[in-house]
Amino acid sequence: MTMLLFGPELYFLLVALVLFFFSLRRTPKVKADHTVATVLALVGFLVAVACIGQKGELFFKAYRVDLFSQIFKAALALGLFLVFMISRNLAGIEERLHAEFYLFLTTCTLGMMMLVSSVELLTIYVSLELSSYSLYILVPMRRGDDIDVEAGIKYLFIGAVSSGFMLFGLSYIFGATHSTYLTDIIPKMPELLASPIGLVGVLLSLAGFFFKLSVFPFHFWAPDVYQGGANQVVTFIATASKAAAVALVLRIAALGAGAGYDFAQALVILSIISMTLGNLVAIIQKDFKRMLAYSSIAHAGYVLIGILAFNEAGYSSAVYYALAYLIMNFTVFMVLNEVARDGRDLKIAELAGLYHRSPLLSMSLILGIFALAGVPPSIGFTGKLLLFTSAMNQGYFLLVLIGAVNGTISLYYYLRVIYAAYFIKGEGLPPIQLSWPTKMLNYALCATILFFGVAPDSIIELARAAVRTVL
Amino acid sequence: MGFNIGSVDPLFLACFAIVALPALAFGTIMIFTWRRDNLSLGISLTCSTIPLILAWWLFFTVKGATLAEPIILQVNWMVSDAVVVPFGFHLDPVSLLMLVIVATISWLIQIYSIGYMEGDPGFARYYADLSLFGMAMLSLVSASGMVQLFISWELVGLASYLLIGFWYEKFSASEAGKKAFVVTRFGDIGFYMGLVFLLYFMKDISLFGLGIADINNIGLTQKLTEAQITLCALLIFCGVAGKSAQFPIHVWLPDAMEGPTPVSALLHSATMVAAGVYLMTRLFPFFAASATAMAVVLAISTITLILSSTIGMVARDIKQVWAYSTISQLGFMAMGLAAAGLAHGTLFAGYYHLTTHAAFKALLFLCAGVFIHHFGTNDFFVMSKDGGRKLMIPMVTVTIAALALAGIFPFSGFFSKELVLAQLWHLDNKLWVGLGLFGAFLTAYYTFRVIFVLLFPRPDDHPAWQTYYVREEVAGHGHGAHGHEEEEAHGSHGHGGHGDHHGVPWVMAFPLIVLAGFTLVLGFMQTRIEKFLLGESHPHELNYLLLVLAVGCALGGIGMAWLDWGRARANWSGFLSKFPMLENFFIQKWYMDHFWRWFLNTVIYGTFSRIFTYNDRRVVDGGVDAVALGTIGSGRLLSFIQTAFLQLNLLFMVLVLAGVGIYLLMGR
Repeated sequence: MTMLLFGPELYFLLVALVLFFFSLRRTPKVKADHTVATVLALVGFLVAVACIGQKGELFFKAYRVDLFSQIFKAALALGLFLVFMISRNLAGIEERLHAEFYLFLTTCTLGMMMLVSSVELLTIYVSLELSSYSLYILVPMRRGDDIDVEAGIKYLFIGAVSSGFMLFGLSYIFGATHSTYLTDIIPKMPELLASPIGLVGVLLSLAGFFFKLSVFPFHFWAPDVYQGGANQVVTFIATASKAAAVALVLRIAALGAGAGYDFAQALVILSIISMTLGNLVAIIQKDFKRMLAYSSIAHAGYVLIGILAFNEAGYSSAVYYALAYLIMNFTVFMVLNEVARDGRDLKIAELAGLYHRSPLLSMSLILGIFALAGVPPSIGFTGKLLLFTSAMNQGYFLLVLIGAVNGTISLYYYLRVIYAAYFIKGEGLPPIQLSWPTKMLNYALCATILFFGVAPDSIIELARAAVRTVL
Repeated sequence: MGFNIGSVDPLFLACFAIVALPALAFGTIMIFTWRRDNLSLGISLTCSTIPLILAWWLFFTVKGATLAEPIILQVNWMVSDAVVVPFGFHLDPVSLLMLVIVATISWLIQIYSIGYMEGDPGFARYYADLSLFGMAMLSLVSASGMVQLFISWELVGLASYLLIGFWYEKFSASEAGKKAFVVTRFGDIGFYMGLVFLLYFMKDISLFGLGIADINNIGLTQKLTEAQITLCALLIFCGVAGKSAQFPIHVWLPDAMEGPTPVSALLHSATMVAAGVYLMTRLFPFFAASATAMAVVLAISTITLILSSTIGMVARDIKQVWAYSTISQLGFMAMGLAAAGLAHGTLFAGYYHLTTHAAFKALLFLCAGVFIHHFGTNDFFVMSKDGGRKLMIPMVTVTIAALALAGIFPFSGFFSKELVLAQLWHLDNKLWVGLGLFGAFLTAYYTFRVIFVLLFPRPDDHPAWQTYYVREEVAGHGHGAHGHEEEEAHGSHGHGGHGDHHGVPWVMAFPLIVLAGFTLVLGFMQTRIEKFLLGESHPHELNYLLLVLAVGCALGGIGMAWLDWGRARANWSGFLSKFPMLENFFIQKWYMDHFWRWFLNTVIYGTFSRIFTYNDRRVVDGGVDAVALGTIGSGRLLSFIQTAFLQLNLLFMVLVLAGVGIYLLMGR
């Protein structure tokens, strides 16, 4: 019965097997594959939700199933399902590779699910690499010019270097504590952090997750990968993979909780640079995905604010923000996917006239963008409010001030998107027809963004309960 | 929130449904069904019928809620440390009664509008806006805290704006909507400041939600000084004055008549404008704690009463007459409350007048709506000529309502007016009751001016028409033109044809009959309502002198109207024409619009606007431009880090990481 604890992972393993067999076919069946994969992912999401209450430990205590991990598993499954839903027009990838696309996204999700449950250093590392390798393959899979290859190589190299740092850091921690179990390590941490080896170890271990989260200085891959990858792949990287990264940063950062002022100060600096750099450079971007890449760097900075508070309120607000970010960023990417049906890179100016071409999409866009910008009463506003409040209570006034200024700067480029969609006339562009599942998806996303922005308490409570199991 | 349905108080659920269903209707219609008129109508009607039933159910079943000990049901809406903003419901007799009034009249208006708005291109939008109003108003009425109340208050203002400017393609309508919104906002600034000051004075952050019960306890607990209470009460009264159209910011209400007539009946006579007075009732113990504030309120409401009655005497647009009568009656209610506050009375008189007024004023407007719908004009002289008296049901009901408005026994207005006047009588200074009686006289006069003109049409060659046409030139524009526009804005639907004088559709006639029923019955419910509100009924010692005076004033007004407008030889000039200066003063609406125009032009645009524009252009814009350019420039500068050279990127990563490491190690 203990294997039931492993339910969601087992399920996705099976899905990966099914999809693997699909990929063996000589003649691809594009539509059928998509339908099967989407349905399987939906069932996967339901399985993950059904397993949300599970608790227990597996594999010689290297693997812990608790509310924290299960919430993130549900979120990851949701992310996978959503990405599959918008993959009906997979124009960016050659048809014979579609089955592989589904396969690797599933293995990546599987890896990240294991990642959020891992409480042992080697398990963490293996799961992380499972998810990363899948993405390394997915990014250059794009059809067409060579920009995807450049992006793929950049992603691989930066990822490899970060992994190297991380392994190095993990080895320090192991060397100093003689254990790879987080449960053993955490009690020794305060003492260990007094010595250089502990500090450097934690710092280097964080590198791997900063890479995933695209925090400065590990952000270089983001703009190129966002622009170079197929739209659907980027959607996945920008949503589900970020959520997993936040989950792991939370687990690892708990190691540094006892380090006190200096360690937090280092994170403060990284956070400030991430926010400022991301927002400033986003302003001058013309490509929509590239702009979103820089915006994701800025958002990574915001999430760090919650993490460096090192307390329950901060962590729970980071969890809330990660979940909110998944929804709102996905909303924007969904619009991008629908507008760029042929899988091309979308310039911001190409959104012109969207209001007339599809009022529904432009409503989703405006809500998603406002949520990213943190305009009330959206889910993004509540998230930012929680993050800033938690930092404020810890006395980081300057950080909050800079965060607020950054929020204002970000409005500039976010509003440019709205401006293009609503106020620039798109001459002669045909209206965009949406299928009914897409319409439902639009309504559901809009409702979610608004509802949890107005009544965030249930999610906050959930996040608090989840965080309590980590701390 | 984190509650499960099983553990929730059914009372809370009922209240929640009352507020949430109209909101649901608004959202559904606006997003999904705005193309389908009948479906939208069905949704809107369903979502107003259920609250209606629930409101009546609450009214009859909720026991044990008294003014002193209300039932408060709330959940935490926003929590941030010690600051808790609740969302919930404050049930006591005052709110229960108002819930019933609002739900009933909203429902009747929705029924009535089926006929009135039939064929309008914006039919679904109209019902969505009505639903939005219903939600906001019901939430305002039942709110447990001032934050929720204020939000609802503003939403009501928004709904009013949307509905006044419903025919937005018409310039005057969109202008009127804007005027209403801006003018009431002007008062709301005061309201908001009042709340902020209240919070500041109380120095208790846990009261951030500003529960209504808490505020009402302030007067008892004496935590605040008299001056502080006065300041807050007066500031809050600014909001009341804006919403309830009290002098000097009443100017928006007559213009608000640009909206469809059912809207005028619902928002701008019976319910929304009463929200101001309702707020005073709601916070009556708080207001009553400051005698100074109450004296100011009394003065302002008395001015309002007289001012609007006199303007009502000369208006010739039927909706304008009722609009000014609304303003004057609102003034009358506020007088009743203020006098009660000064003389340590109860809120019953003013609130009772609000109740009866809601019924008969809605009736007056709905009748006017029938006439307007039928004859395509707002000018009641023209209606009279075209045979207005032949419309049986509206003619009978409008007469009933007019008798109530004039304060004639046995109609409801008689009882409530009597109470307010009695309340004024208790004041030491008898000037107030004198002015109140004078107002009652004027009310009877201008009301029956309309009734007599409608009832006794003159043949075309009657000398009265001479006066009418001369007057039209004197008045210049008049208001006759609006009516035609309202009818045009309706679109091209044919309504039964002019020849058919019996063609009042039953959906329009039914609300008239129901409201007429209320107008007849409510007066005799006085003791019961008082018992319901206050928990006990004081036997009113009949003040025969006052009774004679009041009835005398009312009958005098009617008699005067008969002499001027009713009898066969009357030449429709009115006794006012003996005083041309005065008449012109009234026709020009006491020059209040001129005053505000002047005030806007010289003070706002001429002084503040100019200074701020200069500041904006030179200082703010210049600064913003500099910052923006600097920001974009720094964006360009930073983007150089993003080079294509992977080696440099990796090197940079390592260097930064090393830098952070060194920083950490140096720090110890």
